[in-house]
Amino acid sequence: MPKQMAELLKHEKQSPTGAQTEIEVAGLSKYFGKRKVLTKISFELEKGGFLSLFGPNGAGKTTLVKILSTLVAPSEGTVSVAGLDPYKNSAAIRAKIGLISHSPLLYLDLSAEENLKFYGAMYGVDNLDARIDELLEQVELDHRRYDLVRTFSKGMTQRLAIARALLHRPSVLFLDEPHTGLDPHAVDIFESLLDTIRQDHTFVMITHNIERGLALCSKAMILYNGQIAFYQNKADLDKDMFNEIYRQKVKGEH
Amino acid sequence: MAAGKQVFAIVKKDVLAELRTKEMVIAMLLFVILAMVVFSQAFGVILNDLDRVGGGLLWVAFLFMSMLGLNRSFVHEKDEGCLEGLLMSPIDRPLIFFGKMLGNLLFLSIVELFAVPIFFVLFRLELGASMAGIFLATIFLSNVGIASVGTLLSTISINTKTRDLMLPILFLPVIIPLLIAAVSATGGIMSGEELTEVYRSMRFIAVYDIIFLLVAYALYDYVISE
Ligand SMILES: Nc1ncnc2c1ncn2[C@@H]1O[C@H](COP(=O)(O)OP(=O)(O)OP(=O)(O)O)[C@@H](O)[C@H]1O
Ligand SMILES: [Mg+2]
Repeated sequence: MPKQMAELLKHEKQSPTGAQTEIEVAGLSKYFGKRKVLTKISFELEKGGFLSLFGPNGAGKTTLVKILSTLVAPSEGTVSVAGLDPYKNSAAIRAKIGLISHSPLLYLDLSAEENLKFYGAMYGVDNLDARIDELLEQVELDHRRYDLVRTFSKGMTQRLAIARALLHRPSVLFLDEPHTGLDPHAVDIFESLLDTIRQDHTFVMITHNIERGLALCSKAMILYNGQIAFYQNKADLDKDMFNEIYRQKVKGEH
Repeated sequence: MAAGKQVFAIVKKDVLAELRTKEMVIAMLLFVILAMVVFSQAFGVILNDLDRVGGGLLWVAFLFMSMLGLNRSFVHEKDEGCLEGLLMSPIDRPLIFFGKMLGNLLFLSIVELFAVPIFFVLFRLELGASMAGIFLATIFLSNVGIASVGTLLSTISINTKTRDLMLPILFLPVIIPLLIAAVSATGGIMSGEELTEVYRSMRFIAVYDIIFLLVAYALYDYVISE
């Protein structure tokens, strides 16, 4: 057995720290028509890592996450998630990815439960009913499970969006401003949910809340004008220092 | 098996959502009834023999009714941001086509189930059971083509800026061969023509259906991702 393991490990990518690389981006650029939104982005994130992505409006954060989650094709460069190329093994990658996006990705004319049942069928989730019960309880929407999403408040919709993203137990989570609309209690629920799955999961979270972002992450990145202005381990950072760095890097605009 | 479940899930959620709002089916039904009433009144005065033009009028009404519904089908997904949710899930893209297409086919057929008897009454049409069966079969065969082309083209049109305009512009030229065959088949049945002619038109419609199902299957991955 040990020999086999060694064989297996040999083929897996190792980052300088020895951890396995989960997300790898090299020379990535993206144009929308003539507008260049991302310019030669290269970085790696190890398995189990938590990347917090900061940057002003329009920096290209959402675009980067959409490319990583197979929704948008890159113009140049290569991307690999969980060792797979999103544009060759897209169905295999999608099964491993969860996304919380700007929009909740929920059907307004279906109930909370019907939405989760629909996505559960799309992902082929085992023991779906039990999983739905569990998640609705965790995000405290049990009492509204038969209500249409149309009748939900913004924060409730966001909670359901969180349940939806976690439904199929993804191993890589992309969170695009997941705190939007959540009350302080819901933020606690959300972060303790993240905490329970923190191990073995890889996270990329976009946020404008520097404090929260820093508290959660293992690495911090600032994207500015489509370029990486800063990328570092959190261990080497403290909050005031990072605030200062952010102001310096992002000065002038917005 | 997983594929069948995914397709079924898409159809089911579209039906559930439609049962809640009924906006698509009711809009289509009102339109088609209105159109048929106006046609029957307008042409009934000047023509003694409605059978000759009935087939054409029926399909004009059905065609615009279909566009009314098909346009909604993806606008819904896009506006609520759910298209991304659908695209994010590990489903083969062509299966999204089949799910949406089957839902559209179902809605078309349901509306027509109400519309056809009204049409028979308004146009004073009397068909024996077997002829009525062939009549309905023609309509269903045509629906498959309309739903296939419509689903494919409404997917293309949601990614364009002028999406409400785009569907009719793309849809009408592509659907014309099917329309001509459908008019000729139903008109033939109504005016008691030779059945061999009617069958020829039906065969043409079936071939058209198969071609566009295959085209949609082959192109869908490309079409649905921006
Ligand atoms: N589909 C698109 N077509 C054209 N331009 C686009 C498209 N999507 C994004 N852009 C442009 O790309 C740039 C980056 O957008 P992006 O949404 O990635 O920013 P962001 O960093 O997420 O900003 P925010 O903090 O406001 O969410 C913007 O200038 C935007 O106008
Ligand atoms: Mg954004």
